[in-house]
Amino acid sequence: MNRMVGYVLAAFVFLGPCAALAQFREPKKAELQMTSDPMAPGADAVYLYREEKTDDMLHFHSIYARIKVLTEKGKQLATVRIPYERRSFQVRDIEGRTIHPDGTVIKMTTKPSDLMAFKSGTTQVNTMVFTLPSVEVGSILEYQLDIQYDDNMVSSPTWDVQQPYFVHEAHYLFVPSRTPGTISNSRGQALTRLMYGQRGGNGAKVQEDIRGRYSYDVTNVPALPDDDWMPPLNSLRWKVDFYYTAYTSGQEFWKDEGKYWAKKTEEFANPSKELRKAVSGMVAPGDSEDQKARKIYAAVEALENTDFTRAKSEEELKQAKLKEAKNAEDVWTRKSGTSDQLALLYVALARAAGLTAYPMEVVDRNRALFDASYLSIDQLDDYIAIVVVDGKEVFLDPGQKMCPYGLLHWKHALAGGLRVTAKGTELALSAADTYKQDMLERVANLYRQPNGQLSGIVRYVMSGQEALRWRQALLLNNPDEVKKQFNEWIHGDLPDGVQGDFDHFLATADYDENLVATVKVTGSIGSATGKRVFLPSEFFESRGKLPFVAEAKRTVPVDVHYARMVEDSVTYTLPAGFQEEGALPPVSLSWPDHAVMRVVSKSSGAQVSVTRLLMYNYALLNSQDYGNLHDFYQKVAKADSQQLVLDRSNSAAGN
Amino acid sequence: MTLTGAGSVSFARETPVPQWGLDAAKTPTPAYAQNAATVVLYDETVETVDADGRSVETEHEAVRVLAPQGRDDAVCAAGYSSDEKIKALRGWTITADSKQFEAKATDVMEVGDTSVPVMLSTYKTRIVRPPAVDVGATVICESEVLLAPYQQEADWDVQRDVPVVFQAMEVDLPAGRAHAVSWHRMEPVKGVEVAPNHWRWEVKDEQRLDLRDVPSRPSWQALAARMNVEWGDAAVDGTDARWKALGKRYTALEAGRPDPTPEITAKTQTLLAGATDFYTKVQRITEYLQENVRYFVVMRGIGGWQAHPAGEIFRNRYGDCKDKTTLLISMLRVAGIESTYVLVDDRRGVVDPQAPSFYGDHMITAIAVPAGVTDAHLQAVVTAKNGKRYLIFDPTNEETPVGNLPAYLQGGYGILAAGDDSQILALPVLSPAANGAERTGTFVLMADGTLTGKVDVTRTGPEGADLRETLKDSDQKERRENLERSLATDLPGVVLKQFDYAQPQALDKPVTLDYSFTADQYAHQAGNLLLVRPRVVGSDALAFDDRVRTVPINLQATGRWRDSFDIALPPGYVVDETPDPVDLDVGFASYHAKTTVKGNVLHYERVLDVRQVQIPATKAADFRKLESTILTDERGTVVLKQP
Repeated sequence: MNRMVGYVLAAFVFLGPCAALAQFREPKKAELQMTSDPMAPGADAVYLYREEKTDDMLHFHSIYARIKVLTEKGKQLATVRIPYERRSFQVRDIEGRTIHPDGTVIKMTTKPSDLMAFKSGTTQVNTMVFTLPSVEVGSILEYQLDIQYDDNMVSSPTWDVQQPYFVHEAHYLFVPSRTPGTISNSRGQALTRLMYGQRGGNGAKVQEDIRGRYSYDVTNVPALPDDDWMPPLNSLRWKVDFYYTAYTSGQEFWKDEGKYWAKKTEEFANPSKELRKAVSGMVAPGDSEDQKARKIYAAVEALENTDFTRAKSEEELKQAKLKEAKNAEDVWTRKSGTSDQLALLYVALARAAGLTAYPMEVVDRNRALFDASYLSIDQLDDYIAIVVVDGKEVFLDPGQKMCPYGLLHWKHALAGGLRVTAKGTELALSAADTYKQDMLERVANLYRQPNGQLSGIVRYVMSGQEALRWRQALLLNNPDEVKKQFNEWIHGDLPDGVQGDFDHFLATADYDENLVATVKVTGSIGSATGKRVFLPSEFFESRGKLPFVAEAKRTVPVDVHYARMVEDSVTYTLPAGFQEEGALPPVSLSWPDHAVMRVVSKSSGAQVSVTRLLMYNYALLNSQDYGNLHDFYQKVAKADSQQLVLDRSNSAAGN
Repeated sequence: MTLTGAGSVSFARETPVPQWGLDAAKTPTPAYAQNAATVVLYDETVETVDADGRSVETEHEAVRVLAPQGRDDAVCAAGYSSDEKIKALRGWTITADSKQFEAKATDVMEVGDTSVPVMLSTYKTRIVRPPAVDVGATVICESEVLLAPYQQEADWDVQRDVPVVFQAMEVDLPAGRAHAVSWHRMEPVKGVEVAPNHWRWEVKDEQRLDLRDVPSRPSWQALAARMNVEWGDAAVDGTDARWKALGKRYTALEAGRPDPTPEITAKTQTLLAGATDFYTKVQRITEYLQENVRYFVVMRGIGGWQAHPAGEIFRNRYGDCKDKTTLLISMLRVAGIESTYVLVDDRRGVVDPQAPSFYGDHMITAIAVPAGVTDAHLQAVVTAKNGKRYLIFDPTNEETPVGNLPAYLQGGYGILAAGDDSQILALPVLSPAANGAERTGTFVLMADGTLTGKVDVTRTGPEGADLRETLKDSDQKERRENLERSLATDLPGVVLKQFDYAQPQALDKPVTLDYSFTADQYAHQAGNLLLVRPRVVGSDALAFDDRVRTVPINLQATGRWRDSFDIALPPGYVVDETPDPVDLDVGFASYHAKTTVKGNVLHYERVLDVRQVQIPATKAADFRKLESTILTDERGTVVLKQP
């Protein structure tokens, strides 16, 4: 019986394939003479043509590409790397040539190099590398190759239609295996059908011909976006995925696979007799649901999380006479587990305490966004827990060490995945954090000397994601390393000429409390004239590093990870004789339903204080919202660039 | 814990922790290792050289994990090229509570050198990750690697980024074979002959070199203490003699590689048509090479040392630094111009004139300047000990014109590989006039604080070359984004209206950028005052701090940077105050800035001259004074007032 291993190839082969090698094409005069491309203004190179073919009858993929080099940077495309799994695949019949703008053809004569990239046990990934000769700006690069795989395998393709460079024309072809009844997955299911999922695109559709072959012809494919603050690329890339499957629709896939997933998950999260006994020692009979949920959460958080320490090797387990944990009870017994195991342990313990609790497995939003059209349960990364308290669902992240009750690590918030409900299993989205959960307060008490020297203390008061980040950093690093990381983090906050030196944290162990970091600051600040001294009004934002200020336009969505609130309170204590000249005008900016900024200042004796509040209550925004985002941040940037004017005409000389 | 040097490793039978490892694990953690992630308790490397000069390198190392982040570093690793073989690689763990574990076959992996986009390398690293590595555990590693036959020296990295309690280096030579050692940034250690022609050096309590939070620092490799031992034909007495021997060896290695093919000859002759003087000939060849030979490294075995034949490079139009130098030498030879290889490192200070070795990472070219030839373009010229003048040129740098020299090479050293004339060569430091930038801007300020204007920037020398390189590596969208980001730090809320980069074909011509913008609320109201920063765009300050300085200060490049900005003031405002003028000269650099008013125009100008590329730590006070003066001047504010 054949085994389905298509995803092995999909993971390693980035370029596509051909049932019979394509013939090199004669370049058109216009292609040779082309010096820029109006369809891709400013591009370094464009694909004139791409072709990927997969033949699961003859067991090979083929790739054919024609690339026009438009700039020096575009020459980089002359080097081609084909990663592949070496045990089952072979890359062969590589041919390449370079065509100069005058039509001169230089064939590749150097033998491609088959380089080992990674090897462990029986797994070996190689990269076939070749580079085309005599490349110059204006050249057309042309190559083709075959990737052959074992006769006892099938390899349904994933077509990454969108490339880093504009594609004028592309042709994709898939000849499926004619014996799908003999293909099975790791669960032993007979994969009797073929399905595909298509995401993105400009209207072109996958076509099936009377011979059961699938083709996709597309023109004018824009280059992959590459912007700061972009959601994971998987949510943006145009692609087509083929699946040998036992199902007739995506809905059926998720329903049936969901049941299978839930069965396995529920087996692990079984509230066994031992767990019921354990939980009776954690909660009191009179505890409210909220109290029970919190006490159990604290007990699970207190266990060793091996994702923050280290998983034990086979040999260590053997020496300790332990076996791999098979269920929540095993995890509880050894007081140690992975993040996923601890999340499921929480569900089991909550149920043992009589609470309604459900497991959910989500996609790590730092890596990808959940894609229901991608019919693979392997896209799910991490478990979280849902507990019902007083009729309301509370999303919890017990697998995240030091994560407060009620908060999800941002990578698990607003994340799609599978969850169990009272009615069964369904696709769902996890809860979003609110700005009230993620607060950063920066309090600076600064003393400026007559000579411009500055000293003072800054306190960072953190809740939510920032506190979680630094508490986890303390678990994974020694204090000296965390100190360095903290200094590097705040470096961008402090004005030019001012250094921060982290001193200590408060409340590192209690994740329900605010985490406080104290930083000593020294240096010089501001500028002076004969009569006046000027200080940045926004001590923490004087470097002008805000995002979304410079770029006026954007076509891709924005992902800022989580909503948050930042409150700055800066007090300058001034030398004798200094006084504020003209009060800083208050600022109040609002982007309704999205963001707010307020600045107020006050002067009292030798002290000038400025308070700034910036809140935004979104994590993901559509590109249509970018205009408002840009407009808001431009106003913020301008407000941040104001200066405090101090009259020093009555002071002793200095600068 | 990385060795250089390939083979199979058997994990079939259990091997107990060797006695040396048990002994090493008893070493207490020294106080100076308190904040480190790991500490090397013991490290001993033995080079066992056979009669042909081929060595088997054996290393025993014990590393204790002191912090959670150190766990990932506690691995046993050995790297090897296609000409080398790993004969053994084993690893054990002794836990904090004295339990012992041995790495099994499942703990072994190999990784190839495939991550660099412009490189094709057969180099591999085998990694053994012993189990049970927690804080407090000690990892014991043993490795044995048969080195390549052409490897005739070894580098001993005495100082690392973690502390080392005890370390030793040995070279076990056949009778009659000589050796020579050199030391970089440390006092030489006397070797002990522990057996006939078997030498050993020991160093204890070497503290780590941590430069992470040191601003404006030289490269880590330039400052780390190391030793080199040579057992080949360069194992001769005397520093100069050894440099010469190293150069001669390299000359022999590349002999024949630059031989011109008919195609090279024909192309060169075409390029030289009508060229009569030395500079024009050299310039035509170098510019052809810079424009037409793509940087791509093919490193198979000795390919890490030896260039490909010139004919192959010419046909493929790609190669690494050795290849580019080889093709250049070949074409110059057709032109009747003598030239040769210079082995360097692109991190200033790594090649140490007092420490002969092949330690380095780059290859450039020395072009012999015929007697009597003078040309203002020929700035990067040095005179060798034999009186010959050489023009130093880096053909891998595709943007720096011949005659000038990239800043990263200036002030460094290189091995002139010129047969019997081989020697260590000091690379020149060029005058400030050879490098820099000039910004001129004209602006109009509105009463509501809006600033509109136009800026022209001209970049010359290495600074111009760096910009050309950046432009080459970016598309139009990235150029706009980079410029917008750069401007936004000086002009919050800026709207870039237009920009244009101009790169003349000739590399010795400056690169220019002109752009125009509008910045709302550039000037701020404060009561009846309007505050304006006369230094509108650009910063020339280097990073500095107030901490005690112990390492040299890297000024990066010599050069001259000028700004000249005119701001037309809004009607109804007069200047109430301007910042004081600045005149500072600290020897290695000077800075002058002033703001003046003429009619309704505010004029700001400044010039920064940097005369050295690196200064000692003893000049830290002057460096701070210079940089804080620049920073304060850049923040300077002009006060406008309505009368």
